[in-house]
Amino acid sequence: MVYSKNDWNKLLKMVCFILVPFWILNVGQCLVQKDRFDEELLLKPLPSGHVYAYFQFTTVWDAPSGPQMFQHCHLFPRALGEVAGRHNVQELHVTLTEGLWRYEYWGFPVSDAAPGAELWTWFRNDTKDVDNIWKKLTGALSGLLCASLNFIGTPNSLSPEYSFRPTGVVKNSNLNSSFVRYATLPREIVCTENLTPWKKLLPCDSKKGFASLLNAGHIHNTNYHSLGLHIRPVCKDAKCTEVSIELRQTVSLVYDMMILGFQNQDWSLRKLFGLGLSGPCPLATSSFIYVDVTSNETGTPYQLQPEPTEVITSIRGGYESKFKVYNIQKMSFTHMLNIVATYSTPKVYAVNVPPVLYASRYIVGYGQERGGIVTKIHNNHWKHLDIIYLENIPWFLPIYLHTLRVVAGGKEITPILKKYVPGKERSRPYSLEVLLRIPARSVTEIYIEFDYVFLKWQEYPPDANHGFYIGSAIISAYLPVGKNYMGLPQAGPTIYSSFNASREGFLLQLRTESLIITLPTPDFSMPYNVICLACTVVALAFGPLHNITTKRLCMKDGNSCNGLLIRLKSMLFKGRKPQAQAH
Amino acid sequence: MRALLFFVTIFYVNEYVQAVRQIPDDILRGNHTNNWAVLVDTSRFWFNYRHVANVLSIYRSVKRLGIPDSQIILMVADDMACNPRNPRPATVFNHRKQHINVYGDDVEVDYRGYEVTVENFVRLLTGRLFPGTPRSKQLLTDEGSNILVYLTGHGGDGFLKFQDSEEVTSQELADALEQMWQKRRYHEIFFMIDTCQAASMYEKFYSPNILAVASSLVGEDSLSHHVDPAIGVYIIDRYTFHALHFLERVSPDSMKTMGEFLAVCPKQECISTVGVRRDLFPRDPHKVPITDFFGSLRPVELGINYLNVSIALPLTENTIRPVKQEEKYHYAQQFPTHLFQTRAT
Repeated sequence: MVYSKNDWNKLLKMVCFILVPFWILNVGQCLVQKDRFDEELLLKPLPSGHVYAYFQFTTVWDAPSGPQMFQHCHLFPRALGEVAGRHNVQELHVTLTEGLWRYEYWGFPVSDAAPGAELWTWFRNDTKDVDNIWKKLTGALSGLLCASLNFIGTPNSLSPEYSFRPTGVVKNSNLNSSFVRYATLPREIVCTENLTPWKKLLPCDSKKGFASLLNAGHIHNTNYHSLGLHIRPVCKDAKCTEVSIELRQTVSLVYDMMILGFQNQDWSLRKLFGLGLSGPCPLATSSFIYVDVTSNETGTPYQLQPEPTEVITSIRGGYESKFKVYNIQKMSFTHMLNIVATYSTPKVYAVNVPPVLYASRYIVGYGQERGGIVTKIHNNHWKHLDIIYLENIPWFLPIYLHTLRVVAGGKEITPILKKYVPGKERSRPYSLEVLLRIPARSVTEIYIEFDYVFLKWQEYPPDANHGFYIGSAIISAYLPVGKNYMGLPQAGPTIYSSFNASREGFLLQLRTESLIITLPTPDFSMPYNVICLACTVVALAFGPLHNITTKRLCMKDGNSCNGLLIRLKSMLFKGRKPQAQAH
Repeated sequence: MRALLFFVTIFYVNEYVQAVRQIPDDILRGNHTNNWAVLVDTSRFWFNYRHVANVLSIYRSVKRLGIPDSQIILMVADDMACNPRNPRPATVFNHRKQHINVYGDDVEVDYRGYEVTVENFVRLLTGRLFPGTPRSKQLLTDEGSNILVYLTGHGGDGFLKFQDSEEVTSQELADALEQMWQKRRYHEIFFMIDTCQAASMYEKFYSPNILAVASSLVGEDSLSHHVDPAIGVYIIDRYTFHALHFLERVSPDSMKTMGEFLAVCPKQECISTVGVRRDLFPRDPHKVPITDFFGSLRPVELGINYLNVSIALPLTENTIRPVKQEEKYHYAQQFPTHLFQTRAT
């Protein structure tokens, strides 16, 4: 029997029709996936006229424990999972940030980050040689995120005792801070090359869903942008005898609507991100956009178009906030969704009401021998607040603990506890944790002195005159009120879980400005200059000396001191007498 | 069912084999199996914007022509795209009319900022990296790899400056390439350099299978192309500008040859003389397709012999279920409130 090509094609099509459904069924049976993915976007106009956009992509995975843990991934990014699995990571928090969050004007963010790169990790209790594995982890992450995280190592890492507790679940309460590492790279630049690999970790990449709003051009023109990756173990169920792995990918953006050239305060998805939303990520369990409309009741109101699917009132820590909710999965998409906020009257700026707690930091002193760092912490609460102050000083800036002074309202405060780990040149930074009770309605000033030191010639970077960065100080507090607080509750991974999540206290971590100092920098062209100068001096000295020692001055008189030519002539014509004399 | 599948496969293979026969011989003649690119910008500081634009131009071209990001090692010594001085953040343009954003939306920089040093560059080439170096920072080439090496920055007679603080000499570079040859880390290298006195950098090469092109001869300066008044600095160098212009018209299936590429930027356009060194390269550049170095076209031979590949089954519920742990987990305390309560007076 001979089949023509057409017959083959028909047969092939038939076979496909029969086989394909079987395959799909088969695959569906084998891979019982136990992970969920939620995408959320929170939009909030800030009292200062800025617009805060916070994206959060949460993947929760009932991962099998054991060595094969990250070998079979579904929605969880395997590249990141392998890095975490191989390096014995229990919790991992990476943020890459450009700009500084202005607490005084913007309130508190959902997720806080220090300028530049910040990385902190809890390793599992059975980890041996934490320093070594930390170095390898930073190297692997630098490859994954295209950032220079490989510059993090033991010489610039701290193990804070109180400031960084695991945010996820643990087995026993006796936590050993030798398994935590914290480091910052305040100078790290964040650009598209970091956003690209970050987006590739998402299940839908940037093709579909909220991540399609993240376009480089509209992210890097903001006043503040921060990328974050947070991995932690969470309870699998209410019993909490097993754990799931939670990965939170966050982007925080603050747009200044005035300088973006739109002339007015109105904003929309298209104005902020360059394009509208084309639909949810098909792999997402839920897709929500929340717009914070709390300020409509006190400030200039704005209208939203289209109408939201739901309105949520959240009471948290005694303060009420209102959110308009768009359930993207329940909306039909005939064209791109563009949420537009329009102000009916020109926006009136009220007097800024700063949040309960904020801080600022600066360098004092003059000259290039010694200086000081001052951190001012403002407490606007009616009651005293308990805070932890963590100072992270690089080894090339030796600080003196005896100069530590904490003054509030002209009165010196004795810290409740101080934990100081002195630095060591080229191997360990200076770490100082101070537990303080700061009085009500006060400004507390923390002052410490340091020395400027010389580095070795090779240790100066190529642009040494730019200056050297000192990472942010971190102020942790347990706020008794929920005003301005937008952080997520510890047990809840999504923004949704933060609604009506009243607790007895709210953990807040503030990051201060990073500082830049000018270390005494040698003149790198000095060897060249020395060579030039030395050669000039030698040449100047050699010439006259040579002349003096080899020549002698004499009167020009025919017999004793003839010129060279005449002497040569006389040597050549020794035999003959000059004719002139023959006469 | 399986038999039917194999039937289908064989049917397709047959059709492909017929298609393969139509591919010109030129494509199949190259003996390399994979393509890599090492693209290096060695200059820091804003006024060297043009060097970053240079290196990103080549990056854009090789990526467009099919070399994946995992096989491109991009070293950029400073950040121009997100530099506060850049009026249009996250872009780097090759022309003041802003034709092409060479930075793009999908860029992966492997070594950046202070990581771009002579040591890292030589370690990368020779493969003598520190343990724990991620794959994206390694040149994992073999004896079948064709490598494009592109350098740009400030140079002089016999050296190329890195970051304005150190330099690699032509002898060091030649020795690094020789070490690569001895370690069988390449099949052929196309070496491109756009600096002043660029030809001095390839003069010392002594390893086989290297084709080199330089933007200027010894004693000549390589010049920049034009200023963008909005940015305020020169935005691209002449040689790379014309090279990009040429490469933009190359498509992965194009029949353009390396010979044509070597003729890019004649003296009246470049002002400097483009130098070419072909004595180490045994093939005639006019018969080498440009995609041998700038693209990633692989000669594929299809056979009708099939292999028996057993696919690992996904782990089933029983195998991965750990022993039930009865120990209860709990969320860690976030703030040591007890310390304040006990110690505060």
